[in-house]
Amino acid sequence: MNATPQVHRERRLRMTLGLMVAFVVGACASTPPPTASLQAAHQAISVAEQAEAGRYAPGELGEAREKLASADTAVSARRMTMAARLAEESRAEAGLAASKSAEVKAEAVNDEMRRSTSTLIQEMQRSSGDKP
Amino acid sequence: MNPVKPSGVNPITTLIATTVASALLAACATAPLKPGGAAEARDKLTQLQSDPNLAHRAALAVAEADRAVRAAEQPQADKELGAHRVYLADRKVETARAQAETSFAEDQRSALSAQREGARLDARTREADAARSQVATARAESAGEKAAADQARGEVDVAREAAAGSEQQAAELQRQVDVLQARPTDRGLVLTLGDVLFTSGRADLKSGASGNLNKLVTFLDKYPDRTVAIEGHTDSVGSEEYNQGLSERRADSVKSYLTGKGINSMRLAASGKGKEDPVAGNDSAAGRQQNRRVEVIISDASPALR
Repeated sequence: MNATPQVHRERRLRMTLGLMVAFVVGACASTPPPTASLQAAHQAISVAEQAEAGRYAPGELGEAREKLASADTAVSARRMTMAARLAEESRAEAGLAASKSAEVKAEAVNDEMRRSTSTLIQEMQRSSGDKP
Repeated sequence: MNPVKPSGVNPITTLIATTVASALLAACATAPLKPGGAAEARDKLTQLQSDPNLAHRAALAVAEADRAVRAAEQPQADKELGAHRVYLADRKVETARAQAETSFAEDQRSALSAQREGARLDARTREADAARSQVATARAESAGEKAAADQARGEVDVAREAAAGSEQQAAELQRQVDVLQARPTDRGLVLTLGDVLFTSGRADLKSGASGNLNKLVTFLDKYPDRTVAIEGHTDSVGSEEYNQGLSERRADSVKSYLTGKGINSMRLAASGKGKEDPVAGNDSAAGRQQNRRVEVIISDASPALR
């Protein structure tokens, strides 16, 4: 049994490692679920949906939804820090989706105005070309 | 040899333990590392802030983006946290840019709508001008037509007046002719002054002749364009020379009576026809009396009457 001190040393090392990992994981587990951030992300996604982000910024809205889903999964896995970050990212992404939608719509209105003005000018030039 | 085995196991486990420990230590240590991507977020924010069209717009979102970028720029040992902050910074900068662009687009809208209204006004002005010129043309045309119609009407009136006038004149002439008891012939109106006006064999006018001749004077005064041929005629009694001379003298006598009454002698031509142009037979006293006469032929169709 000359292997006993070796095994003992190995066990101690493993215990130390296990403690350290448990400490790290425990530090994460002790944080409560980021309810406020998750709610904020939910709300931001609703706002983006109302701004027709599904039509004007589908990529951003999709990512915001994915991030929120991931955040929920992280909560289930009791990885609260990750959940909080994902929720925050989802919220930021949803905000971007809403702002982008507003921008696209505003540009569309302007483009329409420019088009109708140039159409008017063209018609005028045509009609004045007919009757100089 | 036993020591070989422990010494072989020992370095491996030590290595593993050291690696894990150092990894954990490194994670916990505040190593001064700027998270990757923070610089890019900062660049995007700076670009937004230096865009003359977008600077000073979406101030709230820009301030938030600036805070997020600053947080991302903080040296971060926790790579996940660093990446998270960079992610947030990037999205917030993008959001700020989108909001600034929206604000810019909305500001442009008033200018665009002014342009469109200007174009619309131009179009309407042109339409109105075209319509106005059409109306003016139509009005001018109708004015022209009216003037033409007025002129035509005026011409008709003038013609009617002229017709009425000539009718009146014709009626008046007829009346005068009736007064003179002149008869219309191919040569003109012929007024016959009978033998009774002259003493037999003499050229002097009897005093009673003046009544009939004064009517002629009145007529010639009224129609100054008419000229008069005065022809003396005799019967066949007596020599030709005598009758010729007598007829001339009687015609002259009538002419001088008329000039004495103010008729221009240029309008009067007196001549003697002798016995050459009898109007009745010379074989009876009555016929010879008819042949002894002075005929006053008033020229027809004077310009004034036409």
